[in-house]
Amino acid sequence: MITTNPRIDLTAVDRMIEQIGRGPDAVIPILHAVQREYRYLPQEALRRICEQTEITPAAITGVASFYDHFRHHPVGKHMISVCTGTACHVKGADLVDDAIRHELQLAPHEDTDTEGEFTVQKVACLGCCTLGPVVQIDDAIFGHVSSQTTPRMLQEYDEAEFVKLSAVHRPISQPRGPHTTEVRIGLGSCCLALGSDKVHEALCDAIDDSGGDAYVKQIGCTGICSKVPLVELVSPDGTSQSYTNVNPEMARKIVQKHFRPKGISKPIRYAASRILDWIQSDEDQDVLQKHRAARDGVVDSFIGPQKHLTLDLLDAIDPLDLDEYVRYGGFESLKKCLTKLQPEQILDEVEASGLRGRGGAGFPTHIKWRTVRRQVSPTKYVICNGDEGDPGAFMDKVLLESIPFRVIEGMAIAARTVDAHDGIFYVRAEYPLAVERIRNAIEICRQRGILGDSVMGTEFCFDLEIREGAGAYICGEETALIHSIEGGRGTPRIRPPFPAESGLWEKPTLINNVETLATIPWILRHGGKELAKLGTETSKGTKAFALAGKVRNGGLIEVPMGITIRQIVEDIGGGVEPGRTFKAVQIGGPSGGCVPAELADTQIDYESLSAVGSIMGSGGLVVLDDKDCMVDIARYFLKFTQDQSCGKCTFCRVGTRRLLDILDRLCTGNGKQGDLEQLETLSTSVCAGSLCGLGKTAPNPILSTLKYFREEYEAHIAGYCPAGKCVDLIDYCINDKCIGCTLCSQHCPVDAIPMTPYYKHTIDLDRCTRCDTCYQVCPEDAVFIASEP
Amino acid sequence: MVKIRIDDREVEVPPGSNIIDAAALLGVEIPTLCYLKGYEPSNSCQVCTVKDRRSGRLISACGTKVVEGMEIDNETEQIRDVRRTALELLLSEHVGDCRAPCDFACPAHMDIPLMLDQISHENLRDAIVTIKADIALPAVLGRVCPKPCEKGCRRKTADGPVAICDLKRFVADADLATDDPYLPPCKPDSGKRVAVVGAGPSGLAGVFYLRRSGHACTLIEQNESLGGRLRTEEDEQSLPRDILDAEINQIIRLGVDVRLQTSITTKEQLDALCDEFDAVLMAIGRTTPDQVEQLGIKAGRKGIDVDSETYATNRRGVFAVGNALRGNGMVVRSTADGKEAATIINQYLAGWKKLSLGHGFSSRIGRLESGEIEEFLANSVPAPRSVPANGTDYVPSDATEQSERCLGCGCVAHNKCKLERWSEYYGANPNRFPRVRRPYEVVGRASSVLFEPGKCIKCELCIKIAERAQEPLGLSFVGRGFDVLLSVPFEGQLDEALTKVAEECVDACPTAALSFAPSRRPPELTQIEISSRVKAKQ
Repeated sequence: MITTNPRIDLTAVDRMIEQIGRGPDAVIPILHAVQREYRYLPQEALRRICEQTEITPAAITGVASFYDHFRHHPVGKHMISVCTGTACHVKGADLVDDAIRHELQLAPHEDTDTEGEFTVQKVACLGCCTLGPVVQIDDAIFGHVSSQTTPRMLQEYDEAEFVKLSAVHRPISQPRGPHTTEVRIGLGSCCLALGSDKVHEALCDAIDDSGGDAYVKQIGCTGICSKVPLVELVSPDGTSQSYTNVNPEMARKIVQKHFRPKGISKPIRYAASRILDWIQSDEDQDVLQKHRAARDGVVDSFIGPQKHLTLDLLDAIDPLDLDEYVRYGGFESLKKCLTKLQPEQILDEVEASGLRGRGGAGFPTHIKWRTVRRQVSPTKYVICNGDEGDPGAFMDKVLLESIPFRVIEGMAIAARTVDAHDGIFYVRAEYPLAVERIRNAIEICRQRGILGDSVMGTEFCFDLEIREGAGAYICGEETALIHSIEGGRGTPRIRPPFPAESGLWEKPTLINNVETLATIPWILRHGGKELAKLGTETSKGTKAFALAGKVRNGGLIEVPMGITIRQIVEDIGGGVEPGRTFKAVQIGGPSGGCVPAELADTQIDYESLSAVGSIMGSGGLVVLDDKDCMVDIARYFLKFTQDQSCGKCTFCRVGTRRLLDILDRLCTGNGKQGDLEQLETLSTSVCAGSLCGLGKTAPNPILSTLKYFREEYEAHIAGYCPAGKCVDLIDYCINDKCIGCTLCSQHCPVDAIPMTPYYKHTIDLDRCTRCDTCYQVCPEDAVFIASEP
Repeated sequence: MVKIRIDDREVEVPPGSNIIDAAALLGVEIPTLCYLKGYEPSNSCQVCTVKDRRSGRLISACGTKVVEGMEIDNETEQIRDVRRTALELLLSEHVGDCRAPCDFACPAHMDIPLMLDQISHENLRDAIVTIKADIALPAVLGRVCPKPCEKGCRRKTADGPVAICDLKRFVADADLATDDPYLPPCKPDSGKRVAVVGAGPSGLAGVFYLRRSGHACTLIEQNESLGGRLRTEEDEQSLPRDILDAEINQIIRLGVDVRLQTSITTKEQLDALCDEFDAVLMAIGRTTPDQVEQLGIKAGRKGIDVDSETYATNRRGVFAVGNALRGNGMVVRSTADGKEAATIINQYLAGWKKLSLGHGFSSRIGRLESGEIEEFLANSVPAPRSVPANGTDYVPSDATEQSERCLGCGCVAHNKCKLERWSEYYGANPNRFPRVRRPYEVVGRASSVLFEPGKCIKCELCIKIAERAQEPLGLSFVGRGFDVLLSVPFEGQLDEALTKVAEECVDACPTAALSFAPSRRPPELTQIEISSRVKAKQ
């Protein structure tokens, strides 16, 4: 019955099986390996796996088709992934997707161009939210893509040009002495998207050339994502200077300005080449000055109201330099827990800190830990939930990429406390750099005796392994995550029993989110009471947020609980762009809600946010302005949850689809009386009836926008979109400001604007696809969007 | 033992039981589609939702184990609402006709596919039983009916509808031609007396079904012979009088008291009838508002005014049917009225507070999209439609062949389907959530097990059964979310997937998503009793 087609060489499959294993739980790792080899999952390979392992045809079919990451058809030479995260969505990801598809001349159901060059797919959030819209081609990430720049991006794309994410980390070559200046460059995946790798190379080359007493240190994410590439020079005396939005040319100038060349022959050669550069460039010292000036104000106000406990080393250390982490006090807490504190004392500290789960639900951490500790079982597990799937959230990605040792330390402390000896990192496959860094960090810890049979020289043994997700949001739900690790479809199950009692392989299992675990070392180092000093009555400590959307200075922030939304948006984020009005913030992603600007003085804490119809969530905070349509936002999130529903229970599988049907009708001008009432009643049913958190919270974006922006919904029923966003309800028009420059006509991809030089242009609305290109290219503000009742 | 309360009734159950088991001990059936005892609950359908009174949360009765002191709400308005919504959501993605469109189009809602199946098996005796369950005068209607059923036949758009009406006549004629034409059994004497005024098609049908229910019936006719408009408006050539007489005779033979040449035209006469009888059914044919008012009852635009749900006039105990209401309706409509009024009068005589025909639940596909008819025609008998020339009849082999043309559009799980059953029970509206319908398709025509994706509720039972039986190929879900689909791995056939447990899977399927192909289906059981879809809600 199961026959093997000999057309493809399957020896690679046998090799993978040999390496990975033959048990039912090997299925996802094997599928990952197969896809890396063949770029999709050939059926012959799947049949072979079933022949050679305990994995059944039913299991492999169910699993391979459950996860978005796995492809079942051959793909083009290059894979284009269009990020559909919230921040990218509000910045026009759909327009970019349309533009790419238009450029590749794809029919609606095609995904690969006729030459087989490119395959396009939409993906869940890539976690580069401040750079939206983001497109990933193979391993290279492009930020700030627009429908206008898309054709050039595709035409000029050449994979050789781009450094592979995984290849970035190169060992430090320069010697370090007491007078050596540290030149820090952030190489998080977002930084890379904006060309930090090239800046990094330029810095290294320039220092090599100049022979200056400096070394380049790669750090993780700097957090100030809107200003990357960001170069910081830290002098031996501790003073530092930062440069924002650096390009390779500027990097060379920075080096030249700061470091005096040593020797004679070198500087001459160096100077000669520089002179040439100067001749070619009209930029000068002024440029550096300008960027420094920009830095001071923005960076200070961005950092000012923040409080960094878990993110404090973000912009300081090389992610994989264990010694450096230790110099900053790393693994002190683990040592203390292993040698000085009894598990009960650790639990008391965690309880005193008031720490609640940072994954979204806010369950008190110490209760979870105590429950697992109480269980009598020779085998227990600790799982780090790094399946950060909320579109618009990337804190966990940054922590894993930038301070992997801290998360490992948190896990080891947790394991010690609950008496577990096996830990698992479950990390999204969309975060290849995070996976890579964690993998390296684990290896380093093993070599240095921090993981293994004798943790830090004690009798405690603990080791870690990594399981990659495969593109299923639902796997952030703990019971689904467990099913996924066990090699199943990521479907949740009813609780109780809770994983703390019966989790992975039916053993007591502690599952904590990345940020929660990353806070643990701080608590043990400074004492639980110190953390409890921060925050509000019920919500202690700090919370990391991914600040993105229509805000001037987006980035990764960590703020004390109790700070107001307004402080975040206006003080840290610098408010919305000039000319726009701050309308709302979306907090908590697909499970969260929109808090209107009028309620911006709401405090950030679990209870206050839920009182206004939102949730803390995992920390996505997307700012919306007057050009954002709230019905569209609700539809966006419903589309997401509907797409990510595992399909197990009726209320979520069908209910979210019916909610989306109604929102689709509204956004396409087909709404009718009674739709809003239907939305409300069905939302309530889906909340009450769904099996797991995904379904129970999926209607929140609808309920909160209906509550605060009902008039926008009513406008859609009447056939217009006040924000001018819903393409079926808007027209692009040109007003009298038009000078006849023809730019719009030149860029229009569908020839909807006849070229009439020096005369006012007009748009053929029947041809117009509402791609927004004319609006973007018009230098005179002559293109406007009309939507009338 | 664990003590819990369900709707304030206490029950003691073994630890580890779920709430469905606990309720069963109280004799309460909690509805579920996806749960099968012996298998891990999948908590998929959510029709078993109950409320944990202490936490205020809705929980799944199949997936929640009993805990000491638990207090469960089962049949509250809130729970009924949740269950109804769950069912309506399932129905919104359901593609299937509970009953065949012909059955729907027939005003009398005769089970046409069953009749055709019986004819195709040359089982004419069972076929007449099926027919007379809903149609009192089939030989007559076989000659005078404008055949709305054939307009509903799915095969109409392909190569012509099944000759339903001629086949029905063939069965009825054959029955009348035997020495012992079919006389349905009557229930024991109810002690109630009913007068039926008018012996046209509606009155005859009314008296037929009232008599079958055990009531003493008196048929009152103003003319000197029975038949009403069948005798006055149909010519002898199209409706030979021997057929009419024979068929009426079969009704009278049930034990009907007949009063000929007796008119009921005044209020006083009606008063007298009301005194004499427990209920009166007015089947007086076309009438004018003036004439109605003389009877002392309320007139409508076309005749007697009745409650559209119950055929009740404004006078208690007096009901009216047929052209007396409609002025000029099809004969089959009048016979259907008679049958339905009989059901209502049964309820009235039994003392029900709320009379109702019930809104028989039915999921419907509606109009087919292009290409979908091919799914119905697949594996069909390719014979062309043929009807006997005027005045002649089928030979039995022709009748068999013609009945085999039926595509069996209804659902094989009709009356067994859990989705249908609970939807009916909770009054679910299949059209509450408008949607773009999925295409109708049947997967696995080559196998002896058929799969209709549009009927699958993703309960996972078949997957679990196949897994436990260690089927080499088995079944699996493919995809995720709304688009999740049951499938055979590696593009296999259903017969390959289910080599050991096909029967268990078909049995466990809560709908008819999995069913046996006709070749592997057990013969249909003949339906003897009048089907009453109305539940006792006194």
